[in-house]
Amino acid sequence: MSTGYLILEVRRAMRSTRFLIFTIAMPVALFLLYVGIFAKNDGVAKGVLMVNMTCYGALTAALFAGGRVAIERGLGWQRQLRLTPLSGAGYLTAKGVTAMALALPGVLLVPLVAVVGEGVHLDAAGWLRVTLGVWLAVIPFAVLGLLLGQVGTAESMQSITGIVIMVMSLLGGIFIPIDGMPGGLLAVSKLLPSYWLGQVGRGAVTTDLSVSLGQAVLVLAVWTAVLGLAVVRRYRRDSARV
Amino acid sequence: MTGVAAGAAVTLTGIRKYYGEVRAVDGVDLVIAPGEVVALLGPNGAGKSTTVDMMLGLTRPDQGSVTIFGNTPGEAVADGRIGAMLQGGALLDDVTVGEIVAMIASLHLRPLPVSEALKRAGIEELANRRCNKLSGGQKQRVRFAVALVSDPDLLVLDEPTAAMDVQTRREFWQSMREYTVTGRTVLFATHYLEEAEDYADRVVFLRKGTVVADGSVAEVTALTAGRTIKAVIPEVIPELLRALPGVSEVDIRADRVAISSKESDHTLRALLASFPDARDIEVTAIGLEDAFLSLTDDTEGNNR
Repeated sequence: MSTGYLILEVRRAMRSTRFLIFTIAMPVALFLLYVGIFAKNDGVAKGVLMVNMTCYGALTAALFAGGRVAIERGLGWQRQLRLTPLSGAGYLTAKGVTAMALALPGVLLVPLVAVVGEGVHLDAAGWLRVTLGVWLAVIPFAVLGLLLGQVGTAESMQSITGIVIMVMSLLGGIFIPIDGMPGGLLAVSKLLPSYWLGQVGRGAVTTDLSVSLGQAVLVLAVWTAVLGLAVVRRYRRDSARV
Repeated sequence: MTGVAAGAAVTLTGIRKYYGEVRAVDGVDLVIAPGEVVALLGPNGAGKSTTVDMMLGLTRPDQGSVTIFGNTPGEAVADGRIGAMLQGGALLDDVTVGEIVAMIASLHLRPLPVSEALKRAGIEELANRRCNKLSGGQKQRVRFAVALVSDPDLLVLDEPTAAMDVQTRREFWQSMREYTVTGRTVLFATHYLEEAEDYADRVVFLRKGTVVADGSVAEVTALTAGRTIKAVIPEVIPELLRALPGVSEVDIRADRVAISSKESDHTLRALLASFPDARDIEVTAIGLEDAFLSLTDDTEGNNR
């Protein structure tokens, strides 16, 4: 694998209008909309919304990138790649790295708009947590995207990714901030990695309902390991079929 | 490697691949020397694509072994020594021709410059065209550029000229020829017998997963009936005609005769000696197409 290859992969994905709308334009627009409705003069609420929309853009981008695996398998592109030195593991790694690269614009843009447009202010450590922290916390979603890409088909991919994003965002405390969640829903929320993704950023803007960064990182690391194992198992099964 | 396979580009030893009851490939032995241009012929379902897939390491044989330049197909692929054009091979819709070739090039260890691969495939002017805006023939040439860009020693082409018109097909083979004069090995599966006749040093006929003929075009056509002599002979004596040297079959309609002969020169000389009145003499070679039909005929007993 080479950087030239990765750059072309990223450039390809960036051409997709759907990608640009759902992972960059929509999080920014939703942030501004929500702030206008719910948090005109509430600095903390603005911060929470900023974190949540950053997470939304990042997880959407990460899942989107993995979903392309199914489409490329449907096309026969993976067969073509098997005639190159790129191994199957290398292919999945490249897709994972691409997913992370695609999550980056949203992670930077929403906080930027929050600062410039809405005057949100945090200390340096806080900003690092909201940007770099959220970006790294999206790793399990990139891995989940790969897994979905391995099991889905080109036709089913759009709905599968759509449903997963919906579940993650609605129940994981992204679209409905956990502050407003009834207790039962909050318990469900904790079962989803998106809750812990949100917690990575949340701690930077409020201590209210926040868990420690260490705990969030630990849960996300477990998610990454479990999903990673599933991807490896599925990959072994797929390649044993030749 | 030992024996005949030493130094071979491709060695297939007793490879078999069954899909349930279907014997897609049923014991194929084939050795291809470096620099050979080999055509793989056979009707649909003869096992051409499965054989090609096993050579490329895309499918593992149930039995037998495949070596490419003394290594496994996987090692040869990793080393960039095999380039392949797959049947209906994938092109990405969201990249340009230049980008897709660059993508594949970036994965290989010693690729050709992208512009050089495009030039050799004759598609330099398409470099900035999106892959979803290409004609069928242009797509095939992009696949050719993708196969070429690793600068392989062995090129495997599965039905390369499908979807090409006559003109494009001719240009394609022109680029192929420029490639093969540099001593590279080529194996191509095709439906077009004239392509095998015009461009291959050697033809291999597959039928029901086995090799039924293997040799130069002349050798393979000679396996069937040789040549046909047609003539008008007044007052022909059938017994005398059948006794001529080399004759395998005689067909007489009134004074018109058609003689199949394995040694038409001898037959013709003897014919003229025995029947000095013979006229309108025509000697025609059995073409590859006749050989193909006779060798790959699925009805039993026709397999000579």
